Amino acid sequence: MTVPPTPIRLSHVSLVYEGGVTALDDVSLTIARGERVCVLGANGSGKSTLASVVCGLLAPDEGEVELVGERVCSDGAPDIEAYRRARRSLGLVFQNPDDQIVTSVVEDDVAFGPENLGVPRDQIAERVARELHRVALDDYAKADPSRLSGGQKQRVAIAGALAMEPAVLVLDEPGSLLDVRGRSAILRVMGRLARTGTTLVHVTHFMEEAVEADRVIVLDRGRIVLQGTPDEVFTHGPGLAGLGLEVPFAARLSQRLGLPWTCDERTLLRELGPGPDSRKPFALSGSGTKRVREPGPDPVLQVERVSFSYDGRTRALEDVSFAVPRGTSTAIIGQTGSGKSTLLRLLCGLETPDAGRVVVGGNDTRTRRGRKAARRAVGYVMQHPERQLFAESVEKDVAFGPRNLRLPEDEVDRRVNAALELVGLEGRRSASPFTLSGGQRRLCALAGILAMEPEVLILDEPTAGLDPRGRALLRRVLERLRELGITLVQVTHSMEDAARADRVVALDQSRLVTVGTPREVFSRDNEERLSRGGLGIPRSLRVARELERRGWPSLGDPLTTDQLVGALGERGLPLPSRGGEP
Amino acid sequence: MALRISIGQYYAADSPVHALDARVKLWCVLATLVAIFCAAGPAQLALALAFVAALLVAARVPAGRVLASIRPLMVFLAVLSLFNLLFVRTGEVVASLGPLSVTAGGVSAAVIYTARFALALVTGSIVMLTTTPTQLADAFDRMLSPLSRIGLPGHEIAMVFSLMMRFVPTLADEASAIIDAQSLRGGAFDEGGPVRRVRSIVPVVVALLASGLRHADGLSRALDARCYEGGSGRTHLHEPSIGPRELIAAALTAAFVALLALLGALA
Repeated sequence: MTVPPTPIRLSHVSLVYEGGVTALDDVSLTIARGERVCVLGANGSGKSTLASVVCGLLAPDEGEVELVGERVCSDGAPDIEAYRRARRSLGLVFQNPDDQIVTSVVEDDVAFGPENLGVPRDQIAERVARELHRVALDDYAKADPSRLSGGQKQRVAIAGALAMEPAVLVLDEPGSLLDVRGRSAILRVMGRLARTGTTLVHVTHFMEEAVEADRVIVLDRGRIVLQGTPDEVFTHGPGLAGLGLEVPFAARLSQRLGLPWTCDERTLLRELGPGPDSRKPFALSGSGTKRVREPGPDPVLQVERVSFSYDGRTRALEDVSFAVPRGTSTAIIGQTGSGKSTLLRLLCGLETPDAGRVVVGGNDTRTRRGRKAARRAVGYVMQHPERQLFAESVEKDVAFGPRNLRLPEDEVDRRVNAALELVGLEGRRSASPFTLSGGQRRLCALAGILAMEPEVLILDEPTAGLDPRGRALLRRVLERLRELGITLVQVTHSMEDAARADRVVALDQSRLVTVGTPREVFSRDNEERLSRGGLGIPRSLRVARELERRGWPSLGDPLTTDQLVGALGERGLPLPSRGGEP
Repeated sequence: MALRISIGQYYAADSPVHALDARVKLWCVLATLVAIFCAAGPAQLALALAFVAALLVAARVPAGRVLASIRPLMVFLAVLSLFNLLFVRTGEVVASLGPLSVTAGGVSAAVIYTARFALALVTGSIVMLTTTPTQLADAFDRMLSPLSRIGLPGHEIAMVFSLMMRFVPTLADEASAIIDAQSLRGGAFDEGGPVRRVRSIVPVVVALLASGLRHADGLSRALDARCYEGGSGRTHLHEPSIGPRELIAAALTAAFVALLALLGALA
């Protein structure tokens, strides 16, 4: 019996894209059979390029590549036939589930790979059943993939790759376009695969996802800058944040508290122990809590007993009422399918309620005139708005709205300048939107909406799919808009974002669960109702409640890391002498 | 969500029509369609109606689903029959109003053409609802295989067709999102003169084209990763099988065509 070959061996691999962008710079890497490797890196670090090289879809310009025993590329000269043979043993799952599914029936899609490999029919049927079971989609064999959730689609894609029985499965940011639930389902599947000995290469920018790996590789500007077990790599803790990675909450908190670096919340809780001995009475200090803006007498959005249905049968929204005071920020939380996006469409006047009414800045959207006025008053930033960019320059794209309003040319200029300045893209005004980074493209789309000078800005998961740098950039812009007095309403999956808003609206199964300030919504009394709706609470609050359970005195329900750190300090935990988050 | 396109909207159900081999289904439907377009007399139309109704029952597809999928074309059909009614000038005048008059020929043309088209549309819609795009593509693949023998890409044409079916709903959703986004930014799709309206479509088309290219990019990566290399050497999960069901379907179709021809000969 022959020993199976080493699945992946790269030596001194470099790859330069057209236009002189170096994607990989002298990368050497060997991956052993059964190993679970996690590749970490910010956008533009070359990690997706590495994934393509590793699964045989891209040949480097320099260096040697050996895949599943085939020498596919030596000194930058690819051997096409060897590549074809190697690809038969390599599986790939990438970001966008929509692009990976090639048929309209789940079962047929899983069968597509084995069919291409020429696997006999009875074996295909066997593999399809086995892999659908593995990703827990047995009941969806005959379903239409376009009706599945993003997480389910991605699991179909994984099953499709596994049905080819690859020696290596490469996953290129499989969770980056999914919600929290979809992402954790993907991680569970990966854990199961690793236990059964599948060789996994997982590319991500979430450090939390790397904790379970056998080996972590960190890329920066096309080079491997760190490599080792998760513990070894994460001891470089503070430096990792500078590489544009998402540092896990537990790690950030341990750093702020001056405790040993850890990515594991349980370790952190153990470190904090049962609480300080000095049980001095605790009063929540003014500095830690955010001033809560009370709903003023002047609501800019009013939703009154609204019900809505797309097809006349199933309710997308049922009897929902709340108001948004002018100049505040509101977060809408709820699981996929709870009616959040429908609610936004009603607020923008894109849909009309079946019952009840929506009033936007004094205009009832039930009338055509009211809808028109409502559309003027709100700016709607859809999910992935950068997919709608079309003009040849940033400037022209942003000017699209004002030009449609037939404003004089100098007014158009003024608005374009103001919008670009707000999002910080003044320097890129004549660039093509398609050459911007992911985060910048989204800001460009946002600028196009700001140029309409809306009173209310409505955003559907504005940070979804962005890397940590892009997310930070966008959050800063939103903070600035809020200071300027623009009313913000955003759908978010992040309880941390929700905790930073003035008001929170929680939805579950088309109904309103609760509405109020973050403190009210995330109060102890609501915790069970929220978790029934599949919603969690902010991580800081979770840690605080867990500490209280372990014997700490009341920490006063901190909603943000700052508040938690402050509360712990006041309870007698010695803090390192540095303020603010990095 | 504003655009609803029925292509590729497979309706999963357990019925003999679903289970039928797609190739046999397509040939039977072709024969049925030709027969329907030859139906002229009331007896023939009634027979065709009965046959299509039986097909609908056998397919276990809700009638509402079928009607919903052909509704846009029905509007077109209504306009067509109105033209027939008003402008066909054969036979005696049945009714007249000012310059407009309706003749017997007009009435029968309106009825016959409308009935034929409606029955054909329902039949076509049943096929689309009971056949997955993959089955259709596989069927076309085999029906086009003579092309491959003379050097034309028969299989590839079928694959392109299948991928098109797969991406129509995705692109339709994206198009409606783009239209919504641009109309919120003052894009005038429903106002102004025809020139303004046409011009307002340009940004939509450009954005849609960009998104189409993005999908094409991702799709080519997916096809490569899954070792798609054209038709040769491929196996199929669903092997075509000509069994008793296929023979019964062929026999029923033949009986329908023969009966229709007989009615025609009698009349």
